[in-house]
Amino acid sequence: MRRPRPRLFVALDAGSVSGGAGAGSGAGFRLVSHARVPLGAGALAPSPFAPNVVRPGEVAEALRELAQRLDVGPAPACLLIPDGIARLALLDVPADVTAHQYARFRIVPGLPYPPEEAVIDVLPLGPGRAVVAAVRRSVIEGYEAVAAQAGIGQDRLDLTPLAALSGLLREPGDGGGLTVDVILGDAAFCLAAHQDGVLRVLRNRRRDPGPDEPRRLAEEVQRTSVLAGDGAGPHVRVVGAGAAELLASWRAAGGTAEPGWRSEGAGAGVEASELAWLGGATA
Amino acid sequence: MSAERDFSTRPRRRAARPFDLALLAAGAAALLLSAHATANAWNARQRARARLEETRRETLAAQSRVRELEARRDPAQAIAYQALLTTEAPPPRVLANLVALMPGDVRLDSVSLSYGEPLGLRVDVVARNASSYDLFLDRLQRSPLFADVLPGEENRDGELRTSIQMTYRAP
Repeated sequence: MRRPRPRLFVALDAGSVSGGAGAGSGAGFRLVSHARVPLGAGALAPSPFAPNVVRPGEVAEALRELAQRLDVGPAPACLLIPDGIARLALLDVPADVTAHQYARFRIVPGLPYPPEEAVIDVLPLGPGRAVVAAVRRSVIEGYEAVAAQAGIGQDRLDLTPLAALSGLLREPGDGGGLTVDVILGDAAFCLAAHQDGVLRVLRNRRRDPGPDEPRRLAEEVQRTSVLAGDGAGPHVRVVGAGAAELLASWRAAGGTAEPGWRSEGAGAGVEASELAWLGGATA
Repeated sequence: MSAERDFSTRPRRRAARPFDLALLAAGAAALLLSAHATANAWNARQRARARLEETRRETLAAQSRVRELEARRDPAQAIAYQALLTTEAPPPRVLANLVALMPGDVRLDSVSLSYGEPLGLRVDVVARNASSYDLFLDRLQRSPLFADVLPGEENRDGELRTSIQMTYRAP
């Protein structure tokens, strides 16, 4: 069987820029290449309102270094912008309207910026249901500008949490009980509870890193599970920045959780579950 | 909708097809028609504005009269009653009871609570279509928690926008 073509991804977050080429492969992800370049503290600050790229020169330099390491060439990349900048909502969409139109009615009036500044796209979840996301246009333009400054061609632009969620929902795990997926970004995280392929709850929170964070995240998982109508020990999966550390911490405390996805083979020297954007590789 | 999400501010473009050009022509024709309709609507709007101004003056006079009457009530009694109502019907509970009656196609733009005798509510609502609004009104009128439901004038310019006044009866 022909293997899916690897696609190039460049992800930006508060702590680093990372990227690579990846493709879905059986039960895991085949990472063809991967690189990560750390950013200085405060160079990029994910926010829904304010300009995110605080020190454009520094971020552009990190992107140039990333492109060199990945040997990107002229191929356009899918830019992935971080969690913590979008208003996300799980909506039941009426039959006579598109998810985009319904999001304009339901979500946009509550945004703390003018409606015409909202860029909206959706993750369809089947008939009548969708995750919608609204991002401020000026925030996106900051990311596009810094990528252009670094000489990276833009194929399309997606949100890392939505890319991750779409990948996780394509592999919902063993049937039966409730699954809660934790998608970690540097500045924010998402919790998605689903059962039998149906997304029941989606929550989005800012991160508050510290020694106590694993316990608080475990409590958030429990709350999400209760909100989804099942407080009795859901199946928990984790992807994103710090996934391995969080999983180790939970296991040490007697909890059970597993990576949302694993690398196939050597995985280009990185654990796939640390890369939330890999969820977009099988789209 | 594209198969893949794209939040780009300048999404990738594709070449125009004959169908697109036909749509463009139809759009231009619609624009001319709408310009004509706009001119007619403008004249109607001027007339409506004059009527609105007259109504506004009458409303202000009525509000002034109401304030005058309220001021005659014993202030201590009013405060005691307000405290009692706030305990029996705290704003989150009133709001939760109201939201529970709302169809998904209706959203609240603003809510004003007037703690008095009785507890008055004025809500500005936006409905995506008239049938959802009618359903909301019907639920309000059938609810034992809300009474004296008085819908305001409706603006059906795109979405349906209106305000509703009612009173709340604590369970």
